[in-house]
Amino acid sequence: MALNLRQKQTECITRMLNLNQPVNATGTANEEVYKILIYDKFCQNILSPLIRVKDLRKHGVTLYFLIDKDRKPVHDVPAVYFVQPNQANIQRIMADTSRSLYDSFHLNFSSSIPRPLLEDLASGTLSSDSIQRISKVHDQYLEFVTLEDGLFSLAQKSTYVQLNDPSAGDREIEEIVERIVSGLFCVLATLAVVPIIRCPRGGPAEMVASALDQRLRDHLLSKNNLFTEGGSFVSSFQRPILCIFDRNFELAVGIQHDFRYRPLVHDVLGLRLNRLSVQGEKGGMRSYELDSSDPFWVANGSLEFPEVAVEIETQLNKYKKDVDEVNRRTGGTDGAEFDGTDLTGNTKHLMNAVNSLPELTERKQVIDKHTNIATVLLGEIKERLLDSYAKKENDMLVRGSIDRNELLGLLKGKGKKMDKLRFAIMYLISSESINQSEVESVEAALKESEVDTSAFQYVKKLKSLNASMASANSASRNNIVDWAEKIYAVTAGVKNLLSSDRQLALTRTVELLIEGRPNPEIDGYLVFDPRAPKSSSGSSHLRGPFKEAIVFMIGGGNYVEYGSLQELAQRQQPVKHVIYGTTEILTGAEFVEQLALLGHKMGLGTNVAASSH
Amino acid sequence: MHAKSAQSSFRDRTHEFQSIAEQRKKSYSSGSVPNGPSSSSKSEEQRSAVVIQSEFNRRASKIGYGIHQTSQKLAKLAKLAKRTSVFDDPTKEIQELTALIKQDITALNSAVVDLQLLSNSRNESGNISSDTTSHSTTVVDDLKNRLMSTTKEFKEVLTMRTENLKVHENRRQLFSSTTSKDSTNPFVRQRPLAARSAASTSNAPPLPWANGSPSSSQSFSGKQMDGESQPLLQHQQHHEQQKQEMVPLQDSYMQSRAEALQNVESTIHELSSIFNQLATLVSQQGEIAIRIDENMDDTVANVEGAQGALLKYLNSISSNRWLMIKIFFVLIFFLMVFLFFVA
Repeated sequence: MALNLRQKQTECITRMLNLNQPVNATGTANEEVYKILIYDKFCQNILSPLIRVKDLRKHGVTLYFLIDKDRKPVHDVPAVYFVQPNQANIQRIMADTSRSLYDSFHLNFSSSIPRPLLEDLASGTLSSDSIQRISKVHDQYLEFVTLEDGLFSLAQKSTYVQLNDPSAGDREIEEIVERIVSGLFCVLATLAVVPIIRCPRGGPAEMVASALDQRLRDHLLSKNNLFTEGGSFVSSFQRPILCIFDRNFELAVGIQHDFRYRPLVHDVLGLRLNRLSVQGEKGGMRSYELDSSDPFWVANGSLEFPEVAVEIETQLNKYKKDVDEVNRRTGGTDGAEFDGTDLTGNTKHLMNAVNSLPELTERKQVIDKHTNIATVLLGEIKERLLDSYAKKENDMLVRGSIDRNELLGLLKGKGKKMDKLRFAIMYLISSESINQSEVESVEAALKESEVDTSAFQYVKKLKSLNASMASANSASRNNIVDWAEKIYAVTAGVKNLLSSDRQLALTRTVELLIEGRPNPEIDGYLVFDPRAPKSSSGSSHLRGPFKEAIVFMIGGGNYVEYGSLQELAQRQQPVKHVIYGTTEILTGAEFVEQLALLGHKMGLGTNVAASSH
Repeated sequence: MHAKSAQSSFRDRTHEFQSIAEQRKKSYSSGSVPNGPSSSSKSEEQRSAVVIQSEFNRRASKIGYGIHQTSQKLAKLAKLAKRTSVFDDPTKEIQELTALIKQDITALNSAVVDLQLLSNSRNESGNISSDTTSHSTTVVDDLKNRLMSTTKEFKEVLTMRTENLKVHENRRQLFSSTTSKDSTNPFVRQRPLAARSAASTSNAPPLPWANGSPSSSQSFSGKQMDGESQPLLQHQQHHEQQKQEMVPLQDSYMQSRAEALQNVESTIHELSSIFNQLATLVSQQGEIAIRIDENMDDTVANVEGAQGALLKYLNSISSNRWLMIKIFFVLIFFLMVFLFFVA
């Protein structure tokens, strides 16, 4: 039971396109029904990494529109709606039904539509006397974006800011937690598993875990729940583990400069929903698709950048050799005698050559694409001195300190402001003890370069609070209701920042959790089992080594964590499967912006200029 | 996968929805009268459009169903062609099936062309929304694509069939110890086979080597087989000639000429198939890799930019109005003064 989230979501969407009837083996509908697909912006983000126009055509979808677009009537054709259940969409649907744009309406909501909205819809369509057009209403539980086989995102913006906001009230926090739980519930429903949930004590992770546990319990009690098929025959050994973490568990990963291919492309060039726009070699923007159908990307995504360049070179040479071979076999015969056998031999070669043409063309396209991307990346790296940042940050993390002159030299030199800010924050995080004078000189250097230091101040405050709380007994924090300060994950957070050989703290912890052996690091972690009755706690037979894991990071994740978790999964004997998900995928710059926002809210830092990064 | 699909990751809320609707309806019907006249007038004008649209849909679904059935027959044919052994050749069934499929494909082709004409005429007749137009165009394109892929499969099955025949012929040669009579017999025996398959795939004359002119590309399958079996025949020819010097030299000369001609023909046909492949490759670059949200960002940005520009213009116009009025009065004033002085 390999957890392949992307495949499962694609299957669900295919079934939805097939008007929620089972899809037969050839993948096309038996009766030829041509339909129209209508979605909203959020669901467009869900659909675009998974389905291409060609697949839509295969399933009989002729037209596809955004729900906000002004649409004209197409009679006698069923329409499939795939939207989020909110008030604006319901209004649009009611307007569409009253205008009778289509013959029948199949409504699919990406998560469960609440009862009041359903009633609104019913009364609205009744009053316009068009209720007979609505043939089906479904909850699809697909409210998440899957980017790769093991990577998903809930696309909920600014969760880190909202959760850590000092001025946020209880109700707002609960709303956010509810949204995250609903998204996670959709993921679990699509995978059809009920996992064992583990999370560190305290903080949003615990809130989300307990809320999710409650929701799963309530759901399992209802009669035809979504997990009946998969759940009952599966022994506890096969259930995956769901580990929920909070961003404050390991802050460094979200900020640091990484030098591997995939994180670089995401961080520097802005990879969104597997799509990338770069400046082409002959000028003009080119748009590329980078997902699991690109063999080079899959094979070399986790290599360091110089190795990637070498790999491109190798592929190019291999391609040239193949092309020469084909040319030689077919074109190069000089003065061909018109001999019978020779002629058939020649044409045979020609036929083989033509048959291999598509494959060769595709290889060339992939190589060209990555050459272009690598060239643009190289330009950016040179301009922003990213290689030196990456190397020095790595040194800082490993050693725990840095030579002062190097630090200041890098800060005072050239480079973008955001990079300098990130570097300074990394210095803060990685140094074991806060040397006040150094920090002040760093701040002075930052101010010199006109960098907005609110993020820096915020992290400094966080770290000082961590240090002061480290002395206090962490177990005595029973009142976790103190949301004014938002301090949590105290000792764990400080310790986890220093890890050797580039293994992230997250990866280490997940490895321990998967193994399930008692370990002082993870003993404090809570366990939730939605299937077990509420009274029994900590049933030990569920703690064996798990084969699959789902890791969820609240507040923002990135490709560095994803890459390292995939490495972990490959390293294990036998090979395990790890799915990584987060509330949103952030580049380093975006995350630092959120930190800066928090700094402003707390009133720290100076506002140098509006355009500080 | 789970064909019974009791497991599903979605929930059907239709019953809930309908029960709510029932409740509401009861509470409504006790109240106001539903607006009947307006809805009936709306349905009037829609009915005509619906009629034409449903005609289109009916024909489209018929064609789609026909294509589906044809591809099923094609699958059967492929199985038959693969299954043949040396001595048990269900040639007759294959012939019939092939003829049937060919008829179907031609009929479907003409039906698709008709459908396209219908949709074109309807689009020109007005009062059809642009969305409907693009919908019908897409439907016709989709049907054409599927028909094309079915035809390609048909061609491949035929190719496989002739190759199988070739292989069988070679095996027959190995098994049968032939006399001189047989030297022409394999040749002659092949002729009828080729003639039958050629006749079923095209209406070209069955003995093209007699008139020596290359036939249409659809009989290339027969030619290919002949071309490949030429070397074997030549070998046999030499073998026979050693035994019987009285074989008329003229006959063998003509035969060798015919063989050479067939070689050329087969090569030409291979080349034509190669060019066809190239053409389809080039033309298939169309919709392969388009993503749903491709032009969205550009469009949104453009629309926003246009909106901004319009707003700015509106502001400039409205703010300038007083200025314009003032200038106007000043001009009138000067005009009056001018007239006063002159007049």
